Amino acid sequence: MSRYFYYHIVLVSLLNLMLFVPHILIRYRYQGAVTSMALAVVIGTAMTFMYTYIMGKFPGLGMPEILDKFLPKMVVKPIMVFMAAMWIIGPSIALVSYAVLINRFINPDTSPVMVLILLSGVCIYAATRSTLTLAFLVEMGMLINFPIILFILLKAVRSDAINWDAIRTVANYWTQMPNLQSVGAASYIFTGYVSFAIYNRLMPPNIRIRHRWIIPISGSAILLLTFFVPIGFHGTEAVENYLYVWSVTADSLMMNYGFIERVIFMFLIMYLNLTLIYTASGWHQAIEFLKALSNSYKPSVDDVPMKRNGFIYSTVIALLTVIYLYYVNEKTTFAISGYWLSFRMFIEIGTVVTMFIFARKGTNSS
Amino acid sequence: MRLKGAAVVLSLLLMSTALSGCGFKDIDKRFFVVAMGIDLPDEGKGFKVTLRLAVPSPKTEPGSAMSQIETIQSQTIAEAVRLAKSHVDKELDFGHCKIFVLGEKLIKQGYNDVLEWVTRRRDVQSVSYFAIGRPDAATIVKVQPPTERYPGNALFLAFGTDGTESSYSMTAYAFDFGRRAEEQGLDPVLPLIRKEKAMENYYITRIALLDKSKMVMLLTPQETQLYNQIANHFGKSTVRSKVDNNNMVIAANSVRSHYDIVSGENGTHTLRLKLRVSGIIEEAPPGVYDQDWGKLEAGFSEQTAAEIKTMLEKIQKAGVDPFGFGLRYRATHAGSPKTWEAWQQIYPELQFDIRVKIHIEGTGLVR
Amino acid sequence: MLNRIETIMAQAKDLNTHRIQNNTITIEVAYISSLCDESKVSDFILVPFLKDELEFQKNISLNPNFIVLTDTAKWSETLLRGFVLVQLEGTVYTLDAARVIRNENPQTQVETAIMGSQVSLSEDLIDSINIIRSRYPSPELAIEERTVGNCSRTRVSIIFDSRRVDPSVLTEVRDKIMNLEVDFLQAPGQLERLISSRKRSLFPTMMITERPDRVTSSLQAGKVILLVQGSGFALILPATFYDFMHAVDDEYDSFWMTRFLITLRYIGVILTILLPSLYIAVVSYNPELFRVQLAFSIAGSRSAVPYPSFIEVMIMLFMIESLIEASVRLPKYIGSTATTVGGLILGQAAQQAGLVSSIMIIVTSVVAISNFVVPVNNMSTAIRFLKYPLIIPAIFFGLAGVAVGIFIYIVYLADLRSFGKPYFRFIGPTKRHSGDIGQVDQA
Repeated sequence: MSRYFYYHIVLVSLLNLMLFVPHILIRYRYQGAVTSMALAVVIGTAMTFMYTYIMGKFPGLGMPEILDKFLPKMVVKPIMVFMAAMWIIGPSIALVSYAVLINRFINPDTSPVMVLILLSGVCIYAATRSTLTLAFLVEMGMLINFPIILFILLKAVRSDAINWDAIRTVANYWTQMPNLQSVGAASYIFTGYVSFAIYNRLMPPNIRIRHRWIIPISGSAILLLTFFVPIGFHGTEAVENYLYVWSVTADSLMMNYGFIERVIFMFLIMYLNLTLIYTASGWHQAIEFLKALSNSYKPSVDDVPMKRNGFIYSTVIALLTVIYLYYVNEKTTFAISGYWLSFRMFIEIGTVVTMFIFARKGTNSS
Repeated sequence: MRLKGAAVVLSLLLMSTALSGCGFKDIDKRFFVVAMGIDLPDEGKGFKVTLRLAVPSPKTEPGSAMSQIETIQSQTIAEAVRLAKSHVDKELDFGHCKIFVLGEKLIKQGYNDVLEWVTRRRDVQSVSYFAIGRPDAATIVKVQPPTERYPGNALFLAFGTDGTESSYSMTAYAFDFGRRAEEQGLDPVLPLIRKEKAMENYYITRIALLDKSKMVMLLTPQETQLYNQIANHFGKSTVRSKVDNNNMVIAANSVRSHYDIVSGENGTHTLRLKLRVSGIIEEAPPGVYDQDWGKLEAGFSEQTAAEIKTMLEKIQKAGVDPFGFGLRYRATHAGSPKTWEAWQQIYPELQFDIRVKIHIEGTGLVR
Repeated sequence: MLNRIETIMAQAKDLNTHRIQNNTITIEVAYISSLCDESKVSDFILVPFLKDELEFQKNISLNPNFIVLTDTAKWSETLLRGFVLVQLEGTVYTLDAARVIRNENPQTQVETAIMGSQVSLSEDLIDSINIIRSRYPSPELAIEERTVGNCSRTRVSIIFDSRRVDPSVLTEVRDKIMNLEVDFLQAPGQLERLISSRKRSLFPTMMITERPDRVTSSLQAGKVILLVQGSGFALILPATFYDFMHAVDDEYDSFWMTRFLITLRYIGVILTILLPSLYIAVVSYNPELFRVQLAFSIAGSRSAVPYPSFIEVMIMLFMIESLIEASVRLPKYIGSTATTVGGLILGQAAQQAGLVSSIMIIVTSVVAISNFVVPVNNMSTAIRFLKYPLIIPAIFFGLAGVAVGIFIYIVYLADLRSFGKPYFRFIGPTKRHSGDIGQVDQA
């Protein structure tokens, strides 16, 4: 069942656009974005490989159960809350920025708060389903959306309007030293594996993730597309001006013979789906972490234990997200996103290394 | 259970009343702007904005296109558009505005304000077309070609790839204009639309070269075609030569160009441009079949190379870089701000080495 | 015996009770004449008894059709099933003489196929089982019988291939049927609603079919079939969403054309669900989605319409739904008149009167037609409803609302289980040795 692993990897790597990753990288295009990307590929791949090793050691166990095995309850509980918080921030930023994006490109007259209430209402519904349902949802979402997104990306790469000189110019800046924000942003592309903190519960005992070489290849391909295609379309200088750089890039594409002429609508709707799936899956994991705080909680993949708690938690999360949008503007969201991406990278490295030690210990003792 | 369901429905209804109406505007309550012209005002400061609004009709027959023209003058474009709303009875919608015409006077003074407004507006398509209007934008926007099936169609077709493809015009998309306006080593180009007196039609035969803030020079139709061949590899074009007082024309089937910048000794730089055109003779004196084609080809090549060189030197003198030679220099040299500074020194002194290779595939249907 | 029966069923006028006597013995016979084949009664009981060639006692004990019934409480029930009760020297025998009125040699009408079986399941349980067994001659075919309904006492058969069936599904079905609390059961559709885990499901999780070939291929795939006495339809479970999109012809006809048709059905479903709400969203929120020509011609044809787009959509959907409903309800002879009149009104007059735009008429007809490409009727009906909820987000949020609505449907589908089996999983479980997700929990 390796494919369920790859769905998450690809989902997260495609979703980077929603978290301003291209914008952060483009801002540092002359100050080491290229080297940071190369470094991120190494870090991301190493993390993913280590994590798959850990998963294989604990089949059918989520991170709460694994931590419970090795650490005392008093230590585990704060970690759970912290992890849940990490899982809330990323998807919520994506959801908030998407609500703003809808306001900018689809419905200029509807307030983003209203749109966000709709979106988070939907995510509450989806996030409180069973873990198995979410796995199916991610699968269906990827099967429906991925071909169309791939089509848009290929269309962009093959477009006449792309200026390869601009791309080569930026690529020439490969001698600059990498910097933290760019590495943090670029390594986000590879971070899909962390979803298996919870989804590992679904994995059968004899799991082996095959074709792992896909990860560095697909990851770097998406990273390169994310970074270079907007530069090709908007040049080395003007590209920095656009906040939603990929939406504008999609708008620069045309399907002369398509039913819909403008690619941007397809692009926006596909990304709406991806954002909703990502948020639902992220919130679901946050909820599962929070549920695991209770001693009476027994994880189950196709039933929803403690349904009421799940609803309460997700409603609180959704409310926080809406309140956030109400008080915080785009500029701050952008800054927070940048810091969160770097912070996240360190937390993930810490988590993976710790779990790796546990996994070694677990095998030695048994 | 029943009660719970009723409560949910009731709360949804309550929520929906809070929403009702925002942004809901039917298509027949909107006025679609199909073309927008921006000029300098006749007197005073600011802008004169001319909007061509489509009057929808269920029929789409030639000549049935109806449109309404609104002209507003204001300090800023944004204010002018807001003012225009008070002139009309329906909501203005820029979603289908595909043509932005900038007046020649305006573009000679500076275009940055206009570009700023366009890139900020969310409802302006990045794939809308930009052009310069002569004598001014308002005249061009007001033209109503008699064959139009729906408002704006003639211009849409002229620039889009669906309709005519002429080697004397080019398409400048909004995102391309924006990119060139800021790029180091690539300058904007816009096609020029002019209107003949007493004729309700457009003529697009020349392109204008711009620097980072205003228009600098105009290319002749012949130069425009050369530009299209070099920069866009435009296939459906011609190459002309004069042999023994006879005009000969080749219709190109394929055009390929390649250029690089080579540094010579003692710090001189040369642009080596190769252009390969192959095609079929379309116009020639009788008996061309029996002549030595190699000689003919050489004649074509030589004359075209000379034309290109003259054009490039003219452009160089004007201090603009529509082909993106500077960007090519940056792309092939180490990535650092110094590269760009170096290029600014190099460009005025740049030598041109033009190598044209014209290949005759045949003489058409006759000998 | 007769006295007791007469007191139990005092109200039944069609109850026949006889006490007859020949040279040697006396028997008592009771049956309900309307339920029984009287010729069977006379052939098996009256004639041999009166002729008395073979000793009647011996006859009764040798003939396997006569079964001894000892439980007096079951008398009335057996009578009501069309059995004849015979009392001979204190022992009560039963004889099946039921005469069920049903359509003979029923033709498939609801789910037709060009080259598939033309015979449909019968309204009689025995005939249906006959049809199934003759097409599925396997000793593994197991048939269990249950009675459902406190009042209707409807017989329900559970049919499955004992070697291929999924035991967990079978246990769940047996449990569910055992624990049913219902007074009257008449049709498989009713049974489906009773045993499905979600009482208000948007999608059917069991398939209802009248086609014996679909039944047998499902048996072969390890599914469980439920037959209900008195209905010519079978219930197949578990089912996935994709089963409903699959017509039996897809296995018989040319490969490429059938693949194309399957694709067409999915496109049809997407269109029928989406078009009305998309129309609202695009016309009222994002007209820039259309090409310019289309936008202008829609704007032109809508300019005569005084209502907002959603009223226009509702008018047309109301008309088309009434038309469909009318053509189902009307007697067959008037039905065609209704559709002609309705079609004319929808097609021409409504547009000329400025009530709706001409594009809307196209939208409506596409919605109606593409709805009917779904081969299984109960799915087709379920899908008919799905377009309505989407209209609401379209009114308030436009295009984004529609996309969100579709997302909710997908979540809902992913959450559906048909007897513990995932309902909306596009790729089935892969090779056994690699294991499937969610196994650890189930084991």
